[in-house]
Amino acid sequence: MTALFRLIGTGGVIAYRALFNWTTPAMFIGSLLVGPIFQLLFFAYLGRQLGVADDRFYIVGNAVLAASLSCVFGGTMAVANERRFGTLGHVLLSPRSRTAVFLGRVLPYAGNGLLIAVSTLTVGSLLLGLRMPPDALPALLATLAVASLSCGFFGLTLGALGLRFRDVWVVSNVSVALLLLLTGVNVPAAGLPGWMRAVGQALPITHAAAAARQLVAGKGFAAAAPALAAEVAVGFGYALLAATLLKLFEAESRRRASLDTM
Amino acid sequence: MSEYAIEAAGLRRTYRSRTGWLRPQRREVEAVRGVDLTVGNGELFGLLGPNGAGKTTTIKLLNTLLIPTAGTARICGHDVVTETREVRRRIGYVFGGDRGLYERLSARDNLRYFAELYGVPGREQKRRIAELLELVRLDGRENERVEGYSRGMRQRLHIARGLLHRPKVLFLDEPSIGVDPVAARELRQTVADLAATGTTVLLTTHYMAEADELCDRIAVIASGTIQALGTPAELRRHADGRQVLEVEAYGVTDAQLATIHTLPGVREASVTVAGAAQVLTVQSDAGVDVQADVLRALDGVRLGRVSARQPTLEDAYVAIVNRVAAPSRPLEAVTA
Repeated sequence: MTALFRLIGTGGVIAYRALFNWTTPAMFIGSLLVGPIFQLLFFAYLGRQLGVADDRFYIVGNAVLAASLSCVFGGTMAVANERRFGTLGHVLLSPRSRTAVFLGRVLPYAGNGLLIAVSTLTVGSLLLGLRMPPDALPALLATLAVASLSCGFFGLTLGALGLRFRDVWVVSNVSVALLLLLTGVNVPAAGLPGWMRAVGQALPITHAAAAARQLVAGKGFAAAAPALAAEVAVGFGYALLAATLLKLFEAESRRRASLDTM
Repeated sequence: MSEYAIEAAGLRRTYRSRTGWLRPQRREVEAVRGVDLTVGNGELFGLLGPNGAGKTTTIKLLNTLLIPTAGTARICGHDVVTETREVRRRIGYVFGGDRGLYERLSARDNLRYFAELYGVPGREQKRRIAELLELVRLDGRENERVEGYSRGMRQRLHIARGLLHRPKVLFLDEPSIGVDPVAARELRQTVADLAATGTTVLLTTHYMAEADELCDRIAVIASGTIQALGTPAELRRHADGRQVLEVEAYGVTDAQLATIHTLPGVREASVTVAGAAQVLTVQSDAGVDVQADVLRALDGVRLGRVSARQPTLEDAYVAIVNRVAAPSRPLEAVTA
């Protein structure tokens, strides 16, 4: 059991240092901490101008969304960068559990996502004057953690495609745009066509954003719990999907030599 | 314990690929076409062959990265298709080149990560990594990022990584490619030391001297099949009854080479480039002096040193590979 925890914990952290492109202070601060704050301000002022929603809607929505950037791209890097460094074959020769190897890689990205979400929420609230009920903060932190994990598993699902397709970054770029549009973080779900709302229900952060808004509005954990449970279910679903795809594509790579030819 | 460390019987692998969307073409390449071999426990076995002969594919079939299209292979008695995990516990894989390491990490962290992946117990990791860094002579540089390493240092780190979990069988796929002579000599010493400790080594290389010096037995593979197998001394006999003429030249044309091929008594002729010069190597029947005819065929070409010598393992290798009727490229079939 200790060996398994080492593989997930120590292995995950080393893999994060090896494969995540934005670990330098300049890249981390610029891309992951400062960028989301300007995005938040952009949507908040646009929302004020158009009268679509109040500041709280955008601050909370964009804070949750901020978690997704490092998680989606991080999850993709966790597999796709193995190709870049030519290490994928050596990883696949490991006799250890693939699920443990790759799901362990999600944890540092989820931790990253949580840090960025908390930073964005804090700075956004200070800049725009949003006051949050102090007793909602623990549940809010838990909600952001669930959102980050859910996004991490979503990113790993995209990364799994990297075992099959070389140009998996295209999928990640499109996915980030879809999260912006379909999860209700910046565009109220009520304003979207039915099919878009349905797709949004299956994406990470949709339910976490709804739960966080309930908490910040002071409605208590009981009101936020159903949405939080839905986010947990979505995250669990992506974890299962990622594990299945990794197994499937690894088997296919041995049969079709797709690591070499695709 | 199985009698053999590596067993392959009728091993075949066909690559299938598709190109184009509107008018797709399906291409089939038979990279390995029925390889049979056995390697004993503790043996240092060489697999030689030209580019595209099927060496790397054979290794990938044996180390579980690919599934054979037909045939069977076993490592230490475990089937490479159905007992993947057991096989992976027993093998190490090292390939040549700059890639295959995490550039942003130090050598120590690269080894720490793969120690986790390859199941080295936590309490042993520190000691094992220190041992290996010393073995491959990277101690003192272990905390530097790999991105600053020379090719020779990377190669040695590849070997250390391949040995982390004390594999019974080590696959070395062209480990000395592009490495300077001093680093190559160090690598050869490391490989020899490994074999001396009882590790079974399957080595592919383009360097005949390396194979000659290290290997107990050698198989020559071309067009996806084993063309010859034996000890280096046995393989050298493929060039028995021949002598070799070497001519340093500047500007030998393909037409002149073709003419030399047709001279009476000439068995093989090839040109390699060595710096600014070319080296024309002509193998001929031992009883026929072809020097005058060859020099006449090179009329107009500036010549340097001309020498005659006895055949080496490399000459035997050239003889074996050129004897293969089909071209050395793998067989391809294209269908619309």
